Amino acid sequence: MNNKKQSPIKRLLAVKGMGAALTAFVGLIIIYIAFGLINSAVFSSNNILNLLRSMSKYLLIGIAQSYVLITGNIDLSIGSMVAMSAMISATLMTLGVNPLLAVLIALLCCLVIGIINGILVGQFKLPPFIATLGTMFVGRGIAYMVNNNRNTDAIATGIGKEAGDKFQNFFYYGTTAGVYNTFWIAIIMFVIFFFLLSKTRTGRHIYAIGSNIDAAKLSGVNVVATTTKAYLVSAVCSWVVGLILCAQAGMGNMEAGNMYEMYGVAAGVIGGVSPLGGTGILLGTLAGSAVWQTLENGLNMIGAQVGIQRLVIGIIVVVAVLLDVVLRSGQFTKKKKG
Amino acid sequence: MNEIIVSMEGICKSFPGVKALDHVNFELRAGEVMALLGENGAGKSTLMKVLSGVYTRDSGSLKIFDKEYGDLTPKQAQEAGVAIIHQELNMCRHLSVAENMFLGREIKRGLSLNNAKMEAEAKRILDDLKIDIDPKQTVGDLPVSKQQMVEIAKALSIDARILIMDEPTSSLTAREIEDLFRIIKKLKSEGKGIVYISHRLEELQHIVDRVTIMRDGQYITDMNFSDVTMEQIISYMVGREIKEKFPRVECQKGKKVFEVKHLNAGRMVRDINFSVYEGEIVGFAGLMGAGRTETTRAIFGVDPKESGEIYVDDKEVKINCPMDAIRNGVVLAPEDRKKDGLCTKLSIKHNLTLPNLDIVCNKAGVVDSKKEKELCDKAVSNLRIKTPSIEVDSGNLSGGNQQKVVVGKWLARDSRVVIFDEPTRGIDVGAKVEIYNLMNELKKQGIAVMFVSSEMPEVMGIADRIIVMCDGRITGEVMARETTQNEILTLATTFEDKKINSQSGGEEK
Repeated sequence: MNNKKQSPIKRLLAVKGMGAALTAFVGLIIIYIAFGLINSAVFSSNNILNLLRSMSKYLLIGIAQSYVLITGNIDLSIGSMVAMSAMISATLMTLGVNPLLAVLIALLCCLVIGIINGILVGQFKLPPFIATLGTMFVGRGIAYMVNNNRNTDAIATGIGKEAGDKFQNFFYYGTTAGVYNTFWIAIIMFVIFFFLLSKTRTGRHIYAIGSNIDAAKLSGVNVVATTTKAYLVSAVCSWVVGLILCAQAGMGNMEAGNMYEMYGVAAGVIGGVSPLGGTGILLGTLAGSAVWQTLENGLNMIGAQVGIQRLVIGIIVVVAVLLDVVLRSGQFTKKKKG
Repeated sequence: MNEIIVSMEGICKSFPGVKALDHVNFELRAGEVMALLGENGAGKSTLMKVLSGVYTRDSGSLKIFDKEYGDLTPKQAQEAGVAIIHQELNMCRHLSVAENMFLGREIKRGLSLNNAKMEAEAKRILDDLKIDIDPKQTVGDLPVSKQQMVEIAKALSIDARILIMDEPTSSLTAREIEDLFRIIKKLKSEGKGIVYISHRLEELQHIVDRVTIMRDGQYITDMNFSDVTMEQIISYMVGREIKEKFPRVECQKGKKVFEVKHLNAGRMVRDINFSVYEGEIVGFAGLMGAGRTETTRAIFGVDPKESGEIYVDDKEVKINCPMDAIRNGVVLAPEDRKKDGLCTKLSIKHNLTLPNLDIVCNKAGVVDSKKEKELCDKAVSNLRIKTPSIEVDSGNLSGGNQQKVVVGKWLARDSRVVIFDEPTRGIDVGAKVEIYNLMNELKKQGIAVMFVSSEMPEVMGIADRIIVMCDGRITGEVMARETTQNEILTLATTFEDKKINSQSGGEEK
């Protein structure tokens, strides 16, 4: 082979999906600097720390949705799993249940939803949009029912102030090496899932069924197991986000995680994950979630109203993908010699 | 000599990393059938995409009906009278024949569609071509051959005068090919220019007037078909002499490796019994829809079996899914590479290692990239896959190279039984011989090779023993060297009595 002497940069660019991810990173930097020029408070270390913390939620749901998107499916139940996680763990804690046990029970419930999603889509071949639409409503319903259609009281009322503070600090308010724990949690999970997707057999299978499910099957890939694994990753990430929201509020909110599944799609898609399956890398999702959060943060800092914020973000999502589409098709029509 | 209707000169076209066309010349006259020949990846399809406006050329001049075009758009090409009948048919399967033919230029009456008029018009065109299809029929319900004719009819309905046919016969039966040729001759007599791309050289003699030969993106030569022999054409195409079209190696027949007993799986697989021995290739012949593909799929565990036993090296194995088959050393290179064989969005590397992840992964399931690269490099060099790197998307490869990837991913394993389902469909002579050599290599290693093919000469030339199927049953078994095409064809059309009256034609038509 003649590609042995490639420079590291060239090799990096040769990685599939890297182009889109890098484009998103460049966009991120431009957006960040642009906001910073309008309001220099954007550059303050305080704001950067906040930015990293609030970005973490989007990164996690971005990972969740990206895994499922790469298999060629979609998970609409992410937001509901977030709410379930927050409500179940908070309710149990207000009842005085040990926080560790409480979060594990919440995890179990999320995993059940993930398995149901996987089986409905993988085994019974339900369209993923429909299957997860169902679990979305079911999950939200459960989140409502856990505490009799009410938000919970402060978790400290059940497990005591000390334990309550510990829980809140661990997931949200505490810092390690000067950066909020939330960010570290998200980054650790990012590294784990990045590795799982890019370096392991499971990861290869996830790409394969997203690219061509028949060919994957004929190559001995267990489609049901692989689909379920992707939905389980989604469940685990949603669970963590639920805990983060619970820690942030110090209580369970029934409406937690509303619309998060769509934020997940946006984060993935901005970073180059194709909703058609088979392509995209988590580095892109990282960039995508950062773009998303930087926009929200920046628009806040320059005093834009919520309505404007939504509008701008909506436009950015479409433009990001449009740009990608145009650039990619441009490769074929542009006149290049040699 | 008729007027020249298409003239392309010095056409160049590059894709990132590949020079697809390098100063190619091409010329088409009215009322002739021009065969455009070359190996896979020679640039035939790219050239035709330039002509139909799908790709913009980098340089060179392009004249259609003496009009010079700059950046030709697909719409301009269509208006100039260029139409492509694609290898993969582009039809809306859920719409009717008439709706498909008038797609995008529906005839309206006021605000509503004038269905009656469109159907009448469609009928007129179809009748004109002597094609017996109801314009109201849903396209998805038609057999592939009829869909193709609808596409031809559609092209004619927009007044196409230059028809490009890309591998039109690759999925047709002998009867359907005859029909197609009749239509081509008719179009020719009406003064239309036809570009005919095909790898089935033996069928050229029936229709072709002139040939243009390409190799590695370059124009090699063009000439009258009558002035040239098949051997010359092949040597122009591959740039070297191919000594034998069907190289056969002799091996000592050894012990039994693979046996299938009383296999049943649906209507198309009924009581199948056969065995394969060391040192032989067993061919499976038959008409399309004879149940050969279904049999391979049932053996491999893709489709459920109703009953039957499978033995590998005299040990019974249970195969309920492809993974079971792979674990027991039985592998299948499927027929439809786009649908079943290849993840086109993934790299060559990912495709090659997909079924071999158990080999390249450590116990924790983490991919060892060094082992992976070794495996891929070996496959690329053994199979001579033409690619700049193993990171290239497999979908960007030419048909023959795609097929090599499909086959290659199975050869990295120590399999006992390798099933090839139509491994040479749509690939060129050179690549075909390479696939044959590969099968011979397996045969020499004592691996049982099952070779399903609809092309009689290649089954007879490569297989040692031929099993013939018809309508889901095995109807006969012959030794390749002692049989004739007629004998095989007779066996392949041995329908059960009751079927002859009712629907035997369904398979053949």
